[in-house]
Amino acid sequence: MKQKSLSTRLSIWIVLFAGLIFIAALGVFFNESRKAVRLEAIQHATQSLDNTVQRVTNILTQVKVATDNTDWLIKRHLDAPDSMFVYSRRILENNPILNGCSVAFEPFFFKDRGLYFSAYSLNTNGLIQTIQEGNDYYQYFSMDWYQLPKLLDHPCWTEPFSDFNPQGISSPDMIISYCKPLKDENDVFFGTISVDLSLEWLSKTISAVKPYPNSYSIMIGQGGTFFVHPDTTKLFYQSIFTPTLIKADTAITGLGHAMQAGQEGMRQLTVDGEDCYVFYKPLDDTGWSVGIVCPAMDIFGGYYRLINAIIGIVIIGLLLMLMIFSGIISNHLEPLVELSYQAETIASGRFDEEITEYRHNDEIGKLNESFRYMQQSIVRQIEELKQVNEQKGRIQGELKIARDIQMAMLPKIFPPYPDRDDIDVFGQLTPAKEVGGDLFDFFIRDEKLFFCIGDVSGKGVPASLYMVVTKALFRTISAHESSPEKIISRINDAMSEDNDSNMFVTLFVGVLDLPTGRMHYCNAGHDAPILIGNTGAGLLPVDSNLPVGVMANWKFTLQETLIDPDTTIFLYTDGLPEAENINHDQFEMNRTIDLAHNLQQNRVFSPTAIIERMTSAVHEFVGEADQSDDLTMLAIQYTKHHEEIKYQRTLTLTNDLKRVPRLNTFIDEVCEANGFDMSSTMQINLAIEEAVVNVMNYAYPAGTVGNVTIEVKSNGSEVSFIIIDSGTPFDPTAKPEVDITLSAEDRSIGGLGIHLIRQIMDHINYERVNGRNVLTLIKKISK
Amino acid sequence: MEVKINTQDSVTTAQLIGRLDTPASQEISGDFDNLTQFAAGTVILDCSQLQYISSSGLRLFLSLRKAAASKGGKVIVKAINNEIRSVFMMTGFLNLFEIQD
Repeated sequence: MKQKSLSTRLSIWIVLFAGLIFIAALGVFFNESRKAVRLEAIQHATQSLDNTVQRVTNILTQVKVATDNTDWLIKRHLDAPDSMFVYSRRILENNPILNGCSVAFEPFFFKDRGLYFSAYSLNTNGLIQTIQEGNDYYQYFSMDWYQLPKLLDHPCWTEPFSDFNPQGISSPDMIISYCKPLKDENDVFFGTISVDLSLEWLSKTISAVKPYPNSYSIMIGQGGTFFVHPDTTKLFYQSIFTPTLIKADTAITGLGHAMQAGQEGMRQLTVDGEDCYVFYKPLDDTGWSVGIVCPAMDIFGGYYRLINAIIGIVIIGLLLMLMIFSGIISNHLEPLVELSYQAETIASGRFDEEITEYRHNDEIGKLNESFRYMQQSIVRQIEELKQVNEQKGRIQGELKIARDIQMAMLPKIFPPYPDRDDIDVFGQLTPAKEVGGDLFDFFIRDEKLFFCIGDVSGKGVPASLYMVVTKALFRTISAHESSPEKIISRINDAMSEDNDSNMFVTLFVGVLDLPTGRMHYCNAGHDAPILIGNTGAGLLPVDSNLPVGVMANWKFTLQETLIDPDTTIFLYTDGLPEAENINHDQFEMNRTIDLAHNLQQNRVFSPTAIIERMTSAVHEFVGEADQSDDLTMLAIQYTKHHEEIKYQRTLTLTNDLKRVPRLNTFIDEVCEANGFDMSSTMQINLAIEEAVVNVMNYAYPAGTVGNVTIEVKSNGSEVSFIIIDSGTPFDPTAKPEVDITLSAEDRSIGGLGIHLIRQIMDHINYERVNGRNVLTLIKKISK
Repeated sequence: MEVKINTQDSVTTAQLIGRLDTPASQEISGDFDNLTQFAAGTVILDCSQLQYISSSGLRLFLSLRKAAASKGGKVIVKAINNEIRSVFMMTGFLNLFEIQD
């Protein structure tokens, strides 16, 4: 659902709140008003009732008085019966409210008048007729109005009745009569004076006064019969209980009984389907009861109209309030909406979008100011960020170049020796950052594979600088130094000097003698390589020594082993065992070793395959995690297989230069046997002579006799000349190269011999084996 | 190994005959010492009958050449065979000496 706007919500809240207050206030007001109205109505109605009762009483009293006034006249003039007509008539004349009057006497009271004598006057709309009403058809002395006072012996009121005299006159209306017994001085009854009131007239007269427009008065007799009711059809014929005959109504029944019992009070009930208040009061000693029926609607009509008007005003007012507040708030929030659009525009990247200035110093004004300040800050910071990014980009670019340079320093052509059948090498370096501190290198000099793997402490640019230095030193030093511990010692001495940053390098240097498979190695704090060969897989035993760069003049130990054919030397940096997955678990050495065993069992010895399998195992382990450290692997497989020797000769000479011609003869014979031409023969002779003379001159101390043995072996494609002596260790291959481009003055006399050997022979290889210098010179037989 | 030295005016010719291997070099080192006496002039090393030369022989040549350089003379190497020429090439001696056929 779409959220309503703030202005609408605020307005709704305000109006709801105001509405609640109104409801509470009006509720109290209405309640109190209703009470007051009701009270006022009761008072008003009660007063009306009293008035009505008073008026009825007045009428009744007037009737009594008129009767009493006539009473004594009658008694006084009993001697003149005709005067009775006068008195009867005079009552009506004096009291226009009266309908009729009878002055009736006991039968034969006036002897001369016979059985009937009753002077009766009837007022018909002001016209008064007077007759003697008694006859055979109207035997008045047997009628209620005559008999009641006689029997009761006191004046009384009749129930309503319809008077009818077939041979005389009578009132067409229903009437009630006040009847008073006439008695002589001896208290003997002799007649009745009866004064009639028209029930209709009484009813109209009483009903004429009403406290409320729709209210009306009722009067009931002792039997509950209506004496007064606005509906004249109900007079006499219906009683207050009539409706309850059709449908039981305890309220009306109760009211009727209360009125009959002469009680005074007020009741709320339903009359003719309308909610009404009925006020009632007994009428003196008549046994009648007067009531006023007031519809609730009449009493509370004004009150309800007031309520409706007020509620209407309140609702309209609240609606207007809603609209007005909504409009006002919306109007005041307009700058916020505008600010919001502008902020969105800014957020979409158009930072120069102008924010309209808001001139009031209210909350919105402060927000506006904050936004503008924020915008300025953003623009400024973006500018700074741009500069930083440019700088970063430049640094990135430079790092990229540095990476390229660093990578270019590493051997990158694989397989590196496609022409050789004795060695296969594969290496791979993956820096964790653009540049790294890992290094590996290898090269073949004089039939020896020099190789190293190292890891500079730390990562990134500082490590990479040390890596470059280390690798350069390795190359430089091993160019004319074949012993790994000496190579490492010299690198260590160079690196320890002025090592203010306390960087160090773990380094493993190995020198594999390719003709023999003998490997010399020196370890400077690096992880032990793994050997994977035909007979199994396992760690190469290494002395840990110290890493390079920690302490100058440290005596690094030299170690030696024989590498069997097909064996692969697997070297790695700690990036392999310490490769971390996303939970910071490490790959660890046991996984590495297990994998090596697995490879061995599957007879996977190829350097490329081993490194690929190691790499994929690590990648699988690391998963999504970032590479935590540089990862470098180098695998070297020694694949030398000793071929069948087709030709073999040996010559042993003493260290006497005079034996050289014998050597020459021997070499000539060898060369001839192996099919070398004249020119090659002479050159081979020269090379071997140089090597042998070198031994004769320097291997043994002056004056001592020692032997030099020349073994010649040929496999049909190349001839190996192995010159062996047991003199002082001397590695001619470690001699610096002579510079043949120098002028005569600058040329040194020495060094030509080894230079010539290198020039003439295809391979040169020196090994110190079992206390003997073994120099192998190989010449390929050109076909 | 035999060395025949013949001096005419300022030109001294030394004819080298045989194999100039290591023992031979020791053998004729005296002859080369003699030749340095003529190093101020022109010394011609006639190699037409020289079959072989080792590095010790080359050292003799180089010593003579250095002496000549210091004395202002010159050394001409004459008629070297192909094998020796290739040795000269390997050692850069072709650039140090004036070579004549």
